[in-house]
Amino acid sequence: MPAVDLSHITKSFGPVKAVDDVSFSVEKGELFGLLGPNGAGKTTSLRVMLDIFKPESGSVAILGGPMNESKKDRIGYMPEERGLYQDIPLDRCLAYLGSLKGLSLADVKQRSTSYLERFDLTAYKTKKVKELSKGMQQKAQVIATLLHQPELLIVDEPFGGLDPVNTQMVKELLLEQHQQGVTIILCSHQMHQVEELCDRIVLIDHGKVMLYGALNDIRHQFSGNAVTLRTADKIPALQGVDRVEPLNGTVKLHLLPGTAPQDVLRSLVAQNVNLEQFEISMPTLDEIFIRVVQGQGTVP
Amino acid sequence: MNKLWHVVWHEYRRHVFNRRFVLVSLLSVPLVILVMVGLIYLIISLDVNTTPLGYVDYSGLLVDPVSAPAPEPPDKLVPILPFATEAAARSALDAGQIQAYYILPADYLSTGHLSVVHLGALKTPASSQFYALLTANLLRNTDPVIANRLVKGSEIIVQSPDGSRSISSKNWFNVVIPMVAGIAFIIAMFSTGGYLMQAVVEEKENRTMEVIITSVSPNQFMAGKIIGDTAIGLTQIVLWMVFILIPILVLRNRISFLQGIQIAPQTLFLLFFVMFPAFILVSALMAAIGATVSEAREGQQMVGIISLPIWIPYMLTGSLMSSPNSPLAIGLSLFPLTAPLTMLLRDGLTILPFWQIALSASLQVLCAVAAIWLAGRAFRLGMLRYGKRLKWREVFAKN
Repeated sequence: MPAVDLSHITKSFGPVKAVDDVSFSVEKGELFGLLGPNGAGKTTSLRVMLDIFKPESGSVAILGGPMNESKKDRIGYMPEERGLYQDIPLDRCLAYLGSLKGLSLADVKQRSTSYLERFDLTAYKTKKVKELSKGMQQKAQVIATLLHQPELLIVDEPFGGLDPVNTQMVKELLLEQHQQGVTIILCSHQMHQVEELCDRIVLIDHGKVMLYGALNDIRHQFSGNAVTLRTADKIPALQGVDRVEPLNGTVKLHLLPGTAPQDVLRSLVAQNVNLEQFEISMPTLDEIFIRVVQGQGTVP
Repeated sequence: MNKLWHVVWHEYRRHVFNRRFVLVSLLSVPLVILVMVGLIYLIISLDVNTTPLGYVDYSGLLVDPVSAPAPEPPDKLVPILPFATEAAARSALDAGQIQAYYILPADYLSTGHLSVVHLGALKTPASSQFYALLTANLLRNTDPVIANRLVKGSEIIVQSPDGSRSISSKNWFNVVIPMVAGIAFIIAMFSTGGYLMQAVVEEKENRTMEVIITSVSPNQFMAGKIIGDTAIGLTQIVLWMVFILIPILVLRNRISFLQGIQIAPQTLFLLFFVMFPAFILVSALMAAIGATVSEAREGQQMVGIISLPIWIPYMLTGSLMSSPNSPLAIGLSLFPLTAPLTMLLRDGLTILPFWQIALSASLQVLCAVAAIWLAGRAFRLGMLRYGKRLKWREVFAKN
C-alpha cells in the first residue's frame, strides 16, 4: 500500500487551475521528488495532500486512507515559507511545536537537546527565535519537523537559504531518515539535489503532471540516440553515426535511427580506437526539466 | 494533555508572562487609580489654608468653648482664635495673622445670623471647621445621641417596592459599581482581544500557521486561542479587583462611604451570564478579524466596527439613567454588543425583569457560539492568505 496516493486531483483558485488532474503515488520508505518550476502547483499539491486545501475533484489517501487528526502526529511537514514563533525562546518554540505533535515535554526536551547539539544550536536555545540568523532559523525548522520522528516527511525546498555545509548536513539527515525507513517527499526545483537523493520523481508544470516515474527510466527516455566518448585518437568514419559533436574534451556521436550504441562500440574497437571513456549519453535532470517546461521535450 | 490545552497554555503563557502585559495591562488601571487618588489628595491638601481663623463673640456662645472633632485627612486643623473686639480682629487680619474672622452678634442664638470678614477668598475647609466649632458648642448641653443625629442630618433611603433594593447617601456608590465593573470588563475585553487578533495576524505574517494546522485542527486551534484569551482577560480582571479591593479593605474603617460598598448577587450573575459570553463573543470576532486581514494595522481599523456598538450605552448614559426602563434601554439590553454595558448600567438603577436578563443572556450565549463558528470559518479560509485580505463575502459564501 503506498504511503501517499493522489488520484486525479483538481484544485482551482478563482479562474486559475493550480492543480489539474494530478495523480501520483509515493511508496512506503521511498525518497520521492516532487519537481516543478515556480508556480507549477507543487505546494498546492502538498497542501491538498495534507488536507489544508480540499480538492474540487479526485481523492487523496495518506498513510493508508483519508487524512485525520491522529495522522498529523505521524507526518512531519516543513513548508517552503518557514514559520516559527519569533518572540519566544527557541527551546520553548520547539517544545510547543513538539507538544502539538503529541510529544510529552520530557520527550521534547530529550530529542531537542540531541538535535540542537547536532545542528550547533545548543548555545542559542534560550535566545528568541528572531535573534537567530536565517540559516539558524532554517535549521531550527528542520528540528521542529523531525522532533516527533514522523513516518512520512514532506519537505518543501529544504535547502533554500542554507550554506553548502548546512545543505550537506540536511542532505545527510534526509538520507539517514530514508535509511531508517521514513517515507520522504522532497519538493524542490533544485534538480541536482533531487537527482542525487531521489529514486522516483513527479514533475508538475502548469498544474499538470509532465513526468512521473523512476529517475533512471525518465533519463533513458530523454537520452535520445547518442553516445559520449573520450579518446586521444581521431574518430574514424562510423556507420550509423549521423553527426559528431565535440563537447568539453569529449565527443558526442548522434546515431541514426536503428543504430544501437553497442554497434558503434563494436566498430570503434574493430578500428583500434583507444577509448578512455564510452557511455550512452544521458541528459541531466536539469536538461530534462528545461526541455519539459519549455515545451521542447515530449512527455513520454 | 489535549492539544487544545497546549494551545491555551501557550497563548496564556506567551502574553501573561510578558513584561508588556505586566506593565500595560495589569498595572495601568491600579496606576491610574493611584494617580487619581493622589491628585485628589494633593488638590485638597493645597486647598487647605492653615492660617488661623478668628472670631468676635458678642453672643456668649463661645465663652469657654468645647473643641470640635478633629478634621479627617487630608484636611488639616485650622487654629481658631478668639478676639475681644472687632478692631483687634481687623488688625490681626490686616497683619496676615488670621485669614478671616467671624462676628457672632448678641442675638446670634435667636437669629442664627453671623458675619464674616476676609480679604482673600475663604476656602470651604476652613469655614467648615468654624461651623463645626459652632455646632459642637450649640449642642454641648444636648443628649449625645440626639446631638449625633442632628450632626449627621437626615438620611433619605430610596427603596424598591419589593424591598429587595435600597439606596441612600451612605451607599450611593453601589449605583455606579455595576457600571464601573462593566467598563473594566470591556477594557480587559478589548486589550486581550487585541492580543488575540495580533497573535493570529502574526502567525499569518511569520508563516507559523501552515506548520500549526498540520499538527492541530483549525477548530481546536481557534478554540484554544479563544479560551486562552478569555483566561488572560479574567486574570487581568481578577488582579485589578485585588488591586482595588486591597485599598478598600485597608481604608474602609477610615473612609465612611467605603463601608457601604457591596456587590449585589444580581451584578455577579450579569457579569457571569452576560459579560462573560460577551467576552467570548468579542474574542471570537477579534480572532475572525485577525484571520481575514493581512496585517495588524488593518485589523486595528476594523476593531472599530465592534468597539463602537459596545460603547454606545456609555455614550447614552444620561438617557439610560433618566429612563432605565425605556424601549431604547430594553432594546440595547437585548442587542448582543450593546447588552453588556446597558444591562450593568441599568442594574444599578432599576430592577431588571427576569425575562430581560434571561433573554439577554441567552442571546449573548447564542451570539458567542455563532462568533466562534465564524472565527473558525474565517480562520480556515484566511489562514493561508498571505498579503491578501479575505473578503467577508467569502466567509459567508456557501462553499
